[in-house]
Amino acid sequence: MKEIHILLAGNPNVGKTTLFNSLCGVHQHTGNYPGVTVEIKTGKRQMNDHSIIVSDLPGTYSLSAFTPDEQVARDALLTSGPDAVVQIIDATNIERNLFLTTQLMEIGLPMIIALNMCDLAEEQGITIDADCLEKNLKIPVVRIVARKGEGIEELIKTIIQVSTHKTPAVHRAIEYPHSVTSHISEIGNYLSAHASLLGSLSPYYAAIRLMEGDEHLEKMLHEKGLTIPFIDTSDSAERDGIAEDILLARYKTSEEITTCSVKCTMGRVMPGDLIDQVLTHRLFGIPIFLSCMWFAFQLTFSASNPFLVGIEYIFGYFTDRMNGVDMDPFVRSFLSDGVIGGVGSVLVFVPSIFVLFLLLSILEDTGYLARAAFVMDRLMHSVGLHGRSFIPFLIGFGCNVPAIMATRTLQSRADRIITIITIPFMSCTARLPVYVLFAGVFFGAAAGNVIFFLYVLGIAVAILSALIFRRLVFRDEPSPFIMELPPYRKPSGFAAAVHMWFKGREYLKRAGLIIFGGVIVVWVLATLPAGVEYGSADSLAGIIGQVFQPVFAPLGFNWQLVVGLIFGFIAKEVVVGSLGTLYGGEEMLESSLAADPTLHPVIALAYMVFVLLYLPCVAALGVIRQEMSNWKWTGIAIGWGILVAYVFAFIILHVGSLVIGA
Amino acid sequence: MVPLSLTKSGEKVVVRSICGTGHLAKTLGQLGIIIGIELTIIQKAKESVIVRIGESRYALGAGAASMVLVEPL
Repeated sequence: MKEIHILLAGNPNVGKTTLFNSLCGVHQHTGNYPGVTVEIKTGKRQMNDHSIIVSDLPGTYSLSAFTPDEQVARDALLTSGPDAVVQIIDATNIERNLFLTTQLMEIGLPMIIALNMCDLAEEQGITIDADCLEKNLKIPVVRIVARKGEGIEELIKTIIQVSTHKTPAVHRAIEYPHSVTSHISEIGNYLSAHASLLGSLSPYYAAIRLMEGDEHLEKMLHEKGLTIPFIDTSDSAERDGIAEDILLARYKTSEEITTCSVKCTMGRVMPGDLIDQVLTHRLFGIPIFLSCMWFAFQLTFSASNPFLVGIEYIFGYFTDRMNGVDMDPFVRSFLSDGVIGGVGSVLVFVPSIFVLFLLLSILEDTGYLARAAFVMDRLMHSVGLHGRSFIPFLIGFGCNVPAIMATRTLQSRADRIITIITIPFMSCTARLPVYVLFAGVFFGAAAGNVIFFLYVLGIAVAILSALIFRRLVFRDEPSPFIMELPPYRKPSGFAAAVHMWFKGREYLKRAGLIIFGGVIVVWVLATLPAGVEYGSADSLAGIIGQVFQPVFAPLGFNWQLVVGLIFGFIAKEVVVGSLGTLYGGEEMLESSLAADPTLHPVIALAYMVFVLLYLPCVAALGVIRQEMSNWKWTGIAIGWGILVAYVFAFIILHVGSLVIGA
Repeated sequence: MVPLSLTKSGEKVVVRSICGTGHLAKTLGQLGIIIGIELTIIQKAKESVIVRIGESRYALGAGAASMVLVEPL
């Protein structure tokens, strides 16, 4: 079995993920890429005697590496030594996509072009002469429709053929003007003498990268003590001029290739223009967006309802069956208090989470999310955030972990830090179980309003934090907003379902391992030392809770609530799981909470607010550390969350108590 | 010549100059917003704009839009 490593590159929104899924199916996993601790999806596909390992790079417009996700793509292409690069190109917008091709071909790796969405191109009256494209680029071109799985076999065959070919890849050369070529040879000749420093980069390619402004490479060479001709001897205006000449040469090449291979047979209609004018309207844009969100959240909760009833029925059934069986009381307690009480109270929220992920990915696939980011940009800008930060925020309502990773598309470090600090205030689905439980028990019919208030409070705190950090710490403006708006597309139910499944599966895994583990730990602590009444103040859990309780006394939390907070750090659902264990099982939980004399609605509200704002879970914390890439800012993010949570819970308890006169 | 942030929705313009250098100017260049290219203004909300170049649409916030100097066609 021969292994072939390929990289999947392409602009954003050209169907890269869809192609990846149809290439690798479910045989994929996320792995840490060597060198940088950033994740690249990898998957495997077997064919005949070959095992093809596919790595899906972040979508990029160029290899300039201004943003962290571009850096990941750049590093993988330049240093990981793949057998071939597959560039996926949107057939409806070839010229635009060829700009990246002009950069990829210069690396000198074997390439294949997968021409995606050929069916859409045909519908729009675009005829593509693939042979001509192939001849002009000197790169094999395969027509595919990734969404329907068409052309995938052919693509795989081509991949095998190209990557097992022994002769080095020679692609079309870009015709640079003399001003550029003279510098390429000057710098290239100089670098040839230091070729060992360049790794797998050819000296002439390195020269082009330096002239285009590859700061990473320049820094690396400076650190080795090199003085690079032209780069170090000319002023910035001269360098910018050359960079511009290179850019124009790339566009000229893209245009030439497009002109000879793409024919448009009908007058192009641009239905998107009108939709854009409505959806991004100065006055209607925001109301349209808010109604979309309102529908999404309504649908999340109503669509998941039937599943909730089903899950509760199954757990009820197991509890009943167990009651009829004679078993060791210790085992019975483990099953009913630990497993059913703890995990069951968390599992009931899985359907809502699946539905939320489904809706978010449908919104994303249609192209609307990018418009929403534009609509929100002015608002975001005025509170010191970048318009692009808006998409991570939205994802944050599903789960903070991918949201924090999504900040990689931001260019400025200040923008990234502020966004990462504020994302945990977006109420993720894991926190919802806590609200549903407490609001349901203590606020009855007003529960819905209370939950809505919490979401709004989270957003308000995020805005406040962003303002504070922007005004007091960074003292600069958010970097300007530039974003491509992808064409509107009919969302594919299948693609959205696959997306939902992968996201939801992550959640299920957590529910299965981390949450289950956390709940078991709480159950053990509530049972030990041997002989104590289960979950009482004398158990280990009780002792731990009581040790920390004085810290939270000003907030009115009893020791059970404190235990919930401590274990909620594992995952916020564990708050409910551990309270379920401590208050005598899932079924008893609501009535026991209601009957607890140390609790009343104001404390419940303060507790929900604290859970909303305090620490993000361990998983989110890990990602914050990874993305901040230092402990200082990680520490600030944590400390800020705890401080804000404490202050807000305190205010709510005391103001609330005054209001109700308790 | 006027900055893109002062154009009107529906106008067709041609890019004459990009103010400033650095990452932002380069990013504009990589998206195809270069001197001599024709843009159609799709939307204008205060100083933010959505422009179309061929098949691609780009949203530019006020800051970015004020860097691109254009001339009506």
